[in-house]
Amino acid sequence: MKIASFFLLPIIGFTVGIFFMGLSRRIMARIHWRYGPPLVQPLLDIIKLFHQRSISHGVIFEFGLLLSLAGGIVTLLFIPIGNICALNMSGGLLVVLYLMLLAPFGIALSGGEAANPNVSIGISRKMLLALSYEVPFLLALLAVMVEYNTISIVEIIELQRASSWGIVSLPLSGIALFLILPAMLGIRPFDMVEAPQEIASGPKVEYGGKFLALYTIERAFHEFIVIALFVNLFLGGANNPFTFFIKMLVIFTPFICISAVFPRFRIEQAIRFCWRLPTILALIGLIIASVWR
Amino acid sequence: MNKKIVAELELAFKDIEVNTPQDTRVEICAREEQILTVLGFLANKGYDHLALISCVDWIEEEEFELVYIITPYLQENKAYIEKGDVFLKTRIARENPEARTAIPIFANAEPYEREIHELFGVKFSGHPRLTHLLLERDYEIPPFRKDFDTRKYVKDVFDSIPVIPEEEE
Amino acid sequence: MDRKAIKKWLKDPEKMGNKYSLWAVYFCTGCGIIEVPPVITSRWDAERFGVIPVATPRQANLFLITGYVSVKTLRAIIRTYEQMREPKYTVGFGSCPINGGMYWDSYNTIKHLDKYIPIDGWIAGCMPRPEAVFIAVTHLWTLIDKGMANAYKKYRKQYKYYRRNQEMALGKLEWPPLYPISKDE
Repeated sequence: MKIASFFLLPIIGFTVGIFFMGLSRRIMARIHWRYGPPLVQPLLDIIKLFHQRSISHGVIFEFGLLLSLAGGIVTLLFIPIGNICALNMSGGLLVVLYLMLLAPFGIALSGGEAANPNVSIGISRKMLLALSYEVPFLLALLAVMVEYNTISIVEIIELQRASSWGIVSLPLSGIALFLILPAMLGIRPFDMVEAPQEIASGPKVEYGGKFLALYTIERAFHEFIVIALFVNLFLGGANNPFTFFIKMLVIFTPFICISAVFPRFRIEQAIRFCWRLPTILALIGLIIASVWR
Repeated sequence: MNKKIVAELELAFKDIEVNTPQDTRVEICAREEQILTVLGFLANKGYDHLALISCVDWIEEEEFELVYIITPYLQENKAYIEKGDVFLKTRIARENPEARTAIPIFANAEPYEREIHELFGVKFSGHPRLTHLLLERDYEIPPFRKDFDTRKYVKDVFDSIPVIPEEEE
Repeated sequence: MDRKAIKKWLKDPEKMGNKYSLWAVYFCTGCGIIEVPPVITSRWDAERFGVIPVATPRQANLFLITGYVSVKTLRAIIRTYEQMREPKYTVGFGSCPINGGMYWDSYNTIKHLDKYIPIDGWIAGCMPRPEAVFIAVTHLWTLIDKGMANAYKKYRKQYKYYRRNQEMALGKLEWPPLYPISKDE
C-alpha cells in the first residue's frame, strides 16, 4: 500500500491539477458569455507540446526546469489526500514550507540562461510576489502549529476530526490564508508574473515544445499543492479522496469567478496588500491562539 | 478676420503677395530666399505651430512647390489672432531641387523634411539627418514624382523574382 | 470534428494534437488584424476550437498573415517565421498576400508572398469576415488529416531558393541562413 501510494499521489495530483486548469478556462469563458474549450483542453495542449521540436539554450536551462518540477512532485508526497499518505513525518509542515520554494527558484535558474529581458522582469516579479505572500502564510501556519501543538499534518487532521474544523477554531488565520490564496496560485488579480500583454508572458517566453509542457505540468502540481494544503489545515482533511476533491472544488470556484472579473495589480500594490490586511489578521490570530492555550 | 495679420505682413515685407480666399485662411506666395524671414515673423506674431510641410510636383512648369501650413496653437494666441491658418507657398526648380531647412525656427520640421527628401528628392541644406524614414531602398527616380512609372518598376523589381520550384523527386 | 474519437487519439496523437490545439502568434501584419480581435473574444469564440493567441513565436504553431506586406514587414515576418517551432502552419489572409491585392502596382509592397515563405492556404477577401478564420482552421484540419500541410518541410528542402529570393527582395540580410546551404551551383 505504501509503495502504491508513492505512484498514486503524483498521478492524482496531475489529473486534478489539469482538470482544475481546464475548469478555470471553461468557467471564465462562460462568465464572458461564450462557450469555452472542452474540459480536457490542457491535456490536448500538453500532448501537442510534447510532439513539437524544441530548442534548448543549454544545460542549466533544462536543469532548472527539472529542478522546479522535482520540487513540486516531492512536496506532493508529504501531503495526505484522504487516507492516502506517502511520507508521514513528524515535521511534515516545515518540510512542505521549504520545498514549496523550490519552484520559483528553479524557474529563476533556467530563466537566467535564456538571456531575455522579459524573463528577468518576470522572474523579479515572481520573487517579489513570493516574498510578499510568505509573511502572512508563515503567521497563519504558526497559529495552526501553536493551536494543535504539533507539526505533522496527519496529526493535525486527526485532531480536527476529533474536535472541530480549523476554520472554526482559528477563524482569523483561516481568513488570512484564504485572502492570500490567489497570490500563491498566480491567478488574477495577482497574475503580473505571466502577463502576456505587458512582458510577453514572463518566465515562459523562451520555452517551447517539451519545456513548455513540463512547465504547464509544474503549474498544475503547484495549484494542487496549495489548495490541498488549505483543505488539510483548515477544513479538516477528508476520509476518502472523493470528499477531499469536493472540498477543493468548493474552495477553487470562487477564485475563478473573481479572476474572470478583476484587472491586474501592479507588483507594489500586491506587496502592499499582502503585508497589510492578511498580515494583521494572521498576527491577531496568532496572538489569540497562543494566549488561549 | 485676419485683416490684422494681412496688414502687418504687407507692411513688413514688400515683394510678396497675400490673399485671403476664405475667412479663416491666408495664403502667402513668396520667393525661396524670403521663406525663413517670413516664418520667423509669423512665429513671433503668435503662429507657433508648424502643422505640415507638403510638396506639389508641377511637371509641366518644371517646378516643385513647397507649402508650409502654420497655425496658432496656444489658447491665448488663438484669442488674439481670432483663428486662422496661414499657407506659405514657394516654388523651387525641378532640376536638382534644393531648399533651406526650417529647423532653426520650428524644430518639428525635421520628419517632414526627411519625408519630402525621401519621396521627392528635394535636398534640405542644414538638416542634421536626411536618412530613410519610411522606405528602405534607393530609387533612381523618387517615387512620388509624376514621371515615376509604377507598373514598370513593379515588373522590373518584384515580378522578376522567380517562383520557388517544386521539389525534385 | 472528431475531437472525441479516442481511438484516433491513441493511434496517432501527434496529428490530433496538432489539429485541436493550434496556438496563433499575435503578429499584427497589416490592416487585416482588425478582424482578429472579434474572432478571439466573445462573439465569434475561437477558443472552443482550441485556437488561442500567444505572445511569442516560440510557443506558437499557427501564423496568420493578415493584410499587405511591405518590405520592412517582410523582414520581421521572416524572422518570426524562423523562430517558430516545427510543425508550423501559415495561412495567408486577404487578397494582398495572394497577388498584391489593392496595392498591385505599389513601389513598396510584396506582391506574391509565396516566393519568400511557404504558405499552406489562402483566404480571399478584402478583408474576409471573422467566420472565414474558422473556415481556414477547419480546412487546415482536413489538410493535416490527409498529410498535405507540409509547408514547413518544403521550407527545409528548398531553403536555398527561398534565401535567394529573400536576398533579391531585401538586400543584405542580417541573420545567417537557418539551414546550411551547400556551396554547389
